[in-house]
Parts: sequence; structure tokens; C-alpha cells
Amino acid sequence: MKTQYTDVVAEYLREVDLRLAGLPVLQRRELLADLAAHIETERVERHLRGEAELIEVLERLGSPEVVARAAYAEAGPLPPIAAPPLPPPTVARSRDRAPWVLPVIGAGVVAFLVMLVLCAGFFLASSRQSAPQQVAPEATVAPAAPTPSFADPTN
Amino acid sequence: MSDVGQLATSLRRGTLEFCVLAMVEHEDRYGTEIVRRFGDEPGLAASEGTIYPLLSRLRRVGWLDSKWAESPSGPPRRYYGLTAAGRAALEHFRTEWVSFRQTVDRLVGTGEAA
Repeated sequence: MKTQYTDVVAEYLREVDLRLAGLPVLQRRELLADLAAHIETERVERHLRGEAELIEVLERLGSPEVVARAAYAEAGPLPPIAAPPLPPPTVARSRDRAPWVLPVIGAGVVAFLVMLVLCAGFFLASSRQSAPQQVAPEATVAPAAPTPSFADPTN
Repeated sequence: MSDVGQLATSLRRGTLEFCVLAMVEHEDRYGTEIVRRFGDEPGLAASEGTIYPLLSRLRRVGWLDSKWAESPSGPPRRYYGLTAAGRAALEHFRTEWVSFRQTVDRLVGTGEAA
């Protein structure tokens, strides 16, 4: 008779356990231990005899689906973090890389800009010396004679 | 009927845990004792098995602590007691609940005057 009790109870607990795969292992074991203790307490303290009375205890506990659903609901945001073991490392890696890489790129950009400014300054400084010679001919060439002669025929 | 059940579920959410805290406010109680007590209360009677995940969460957030103790009559019992943080949370809920209840009563027309 006692093996009949434990058969029903063991089956119930196994059905609950099967539905808790997404929970952290300690929460899973805790719940199963709590349920097992509850069932055994009810059996002993209420002097239950026979499988039917034990099944009533299990029915009051709720179906394995209902109990498991409550377990997930109370576990809160833990399962999504704990359940997929693969995504977190990649996320963590890209997070690790970001603070590392961005300053390096930033430093490179800043260094490039500094170089650019220095070069520009150098060119400006050097072109300023040769500017009078180069600009002067262009300025004299620009208001070239042909323009007035173009205007004259149209008028 | 499912709407009624849904309403009960919605109302339980956010309040049931404080009923649990209040239940162990003055003395530690073991799991089956807490579950039986809820079974005696109409309207709070969710499936008994859903109380244990709730107890687990309240312990994890530090509002309850628990310890296993031998029972004179049966298997070891897991006793739950209120922590200082749990006591503070319960007091906070009491304040919030009174003003919440008064607001709902006024808006829905369920106050004593209505």
C-alpha cells in the first residue's frame, strides 16, 4: 500500500519536475522538496489512507502545469537570463569589446585630426611665404583684356 | 466564469504575498500550515501548490527566512518567519493598501457610505 502512495506521489513530482527545466536548479530542487514535504505532512498528520485520499491532496496542490506556471511566474526575470546559456557570452563579449575598441578608434581619429591640423598649418605657413609670387600673377591675369572686348560687340 | 477567475487572479497578484507576510508576523509557521490557512479562506484559494513558489520568492527577496525543524508527528517541517525587511514591507503595504482601498471604494462605489 505504501508503494502505491509513493508511486502516485513520485509520478506527480516527476511531472512537475519535467516542467521546471527552465528554472535555476536550486529553485527547482527547493520546490520539489517543499511539495514532497507538504504531501508527506498531509499524509501523516491527516492520517490519510489509500491512494484516493492522496490523490485529493495532489489535486488541491494543483496540476503540474499550474504549479510549474506559478514557479516560473515567481521566478521573475531570472529564467530569461539563466535559460539561454549561449547568448550571454556573445553579448558579454561584444560589451567587453565596446569599451575597449571605441577609445582606441577615438584616439586614432583624434590623432588623425591633429595630424591633419598640423599639416594644414604647415601648408598654410609655407604657402604664405610663396603666396605673393603666385597670387599676384593670377590676379593680374584674371581681369584680362578680352572681357571688355567681348562686351563691346554685344552692346 | 473565466472572467471571474481572471479577476480573482488579478486581485490576488500583489496582495497575496502580504497576506503571507502577515500570517507569519507574530510567529513562525511551516509551509503546510500556511497552505492550509489559505485553503480555509474563500477567494484566496489558489491551487495550494502555487503558495510554495511564492514562499520561495519571498525568501529570495529577503522578506522571509526559513529553517527546517523536526516535527513531533511527521516529516521535518520548514518554518517561515518574517525578516526585518519583510516587516518593513508589510508595514509599507498596510499604509498603501488603506489609501488604495479608499480610492477604489470611492470610485467604484463600494465604500460604507455607498
